[in-house]
Amino acid sequence: MVILRLFAVSLIIAVIIGLIGAAMKLSGNRLAQTIANAYTVIFRGTPELLVLLIVYFGAAVTLTAIVQSFDANVKFIDIPPFWAGAFAIALIVGAYMTETFRGAFLGVDSGHVEAARALGLSNFQTFVYVRIPQMWRLALPNFGNHMLSLMKDTALISVIGVEEIVFVAEMATTVTNKPFTMYIVVAFIYLCITTVITLAVMLLEKYANKHLVGGK
Amino acid sequence: MIFEFGLIFGSIPKMLTGLGLTLQLLLLSSFIGLVLAVITLLMRISGRWFLVAPAVVYIYIFRGTPILVQIFVIYYGLPQFEFIREGVFWPFLREPFWCCILALSLNAGAYVSEILRGGVLGVDKGAQEAASALGISKTQSFIYITTPIAIRLSLPAYSNDIISMTKATALASTVTLLDMTGVARTIVAQTFAPYEIFISAAIIYMVIAWMVQKGFGMLERRMSRYIKATR
Repeated sequence: MVILRLFAVSLIIAVIIGLIGAAMKLSGNRLAQTIANAYTVIFRGTPELLVLLIVYFGAAVTLTAIVQSFDANVKFIDIPPFWAGAFAIALIVGAYMTETFRGAFLGVDSGHVEAARALGLSNFQTFVYVRIPQMWRLALPNFGNHMLSLMKDTALISVIGVEEIVFVAEMATTVTNKPFTMYIVVAFIYLCITTVITLAVMLLEKYANKHLVGGK
Repeated sequence: MIFEFGLIFGSIPKMLTGLGLTLQLLLLSSFIGLVLAVITLLMRISGRWFLVAPAVVYIYIFRGTPILVQIFVIYYGLPQFEFIREGVFWPFLREPFWCCILALSLNAGAYVSEILRGGVLGVDKGAQEAASALGISKTQSFIYITTPIAIRLSLPAYSNDIISMTKATALASTVTLLDMTGVARTIVAQTFAPYEIFISAAIIYMVIAWMVQKGFGMLERRMSRYIKATR
């Protein structure tokens, strides 16, 4: 269950990051573009494990330093590994989402955006009512792939000590002495979840493109 | 909390000893992975069910599970069986290095074969029809006509895959290997300076990813120069 919760939490954060990132990249603002570009380059080039370690241990060190400046008696503070993991994975997948969403926004016919402008819709209204309903269909295939890699990244958080299924398998191994059986079960659970995600994306794609299917 | 640059410069030589292992993992497993991918691809497009089915199952399993779990199954899991501990491959499977190579290669094989299949399917039908009209046999047309075009078509996706392989080699540190991430983790355990050490490791990874991207970009430009010439 932990991995499913982690999946849901980091998927939501990643989508928000992706939308903001794509909006920054497409905005005319030079500074926003530079920040968004640096973000995607950094998080697509760094191993997931390393990002996770930086977020978890970095947050602990920073928090400890901040608290110590108020109260010198405090030795060590860390943030819950679950949230560090969720945030780290969301940052990585958010970088990929940024690129996907940017491409999808560019795929929306610019005539529609101009029409919205002509009708007097505000920038925000255009974004919510015109751009998003059209771009999600274009973003869907890549979005599905990112969901799969997000799901698989959740296995990493056992490294920082969250009690998810890889961690439980390790514990179970010390009791039963059957590591292969335990890890194969873990692999099978992941395989089931990724299969469900793949099927769901396929159904969604069918739903999203039903206006393109010609009459028969 | 002060950002200590001295620590970064002090730890980079140590980290570079890990770089060697990271590159070994990357090069060996992407080579073996490529060989596996070509075999799987040929099975997949052969059209015979007893060849297609194993290939599809292999790709499905290895793309559907996390690499970390695959590494754990191979490194911690396989010694559960008597026949593996007494088999000829035990000297290899005992070593975490070869277990990582095995897991990463199998993984790369599954992903790359899908990429190559995309390339093969992207080849214009007309080219094959022209080949058969000229009386070229199926095998010859696959080798001389489909393959060169398919390689060029799948290069961009392949370079992305090499970059994600580079990132996947960091997982080797979870099975006690001292690759770059492993070295960084031991240094952090001693100094407890996560920002300095992990960020310098991240920068080295980014440089590798950047070089891979540039290298493949150049290769791609060279392979598609005939397209530019017509413009």
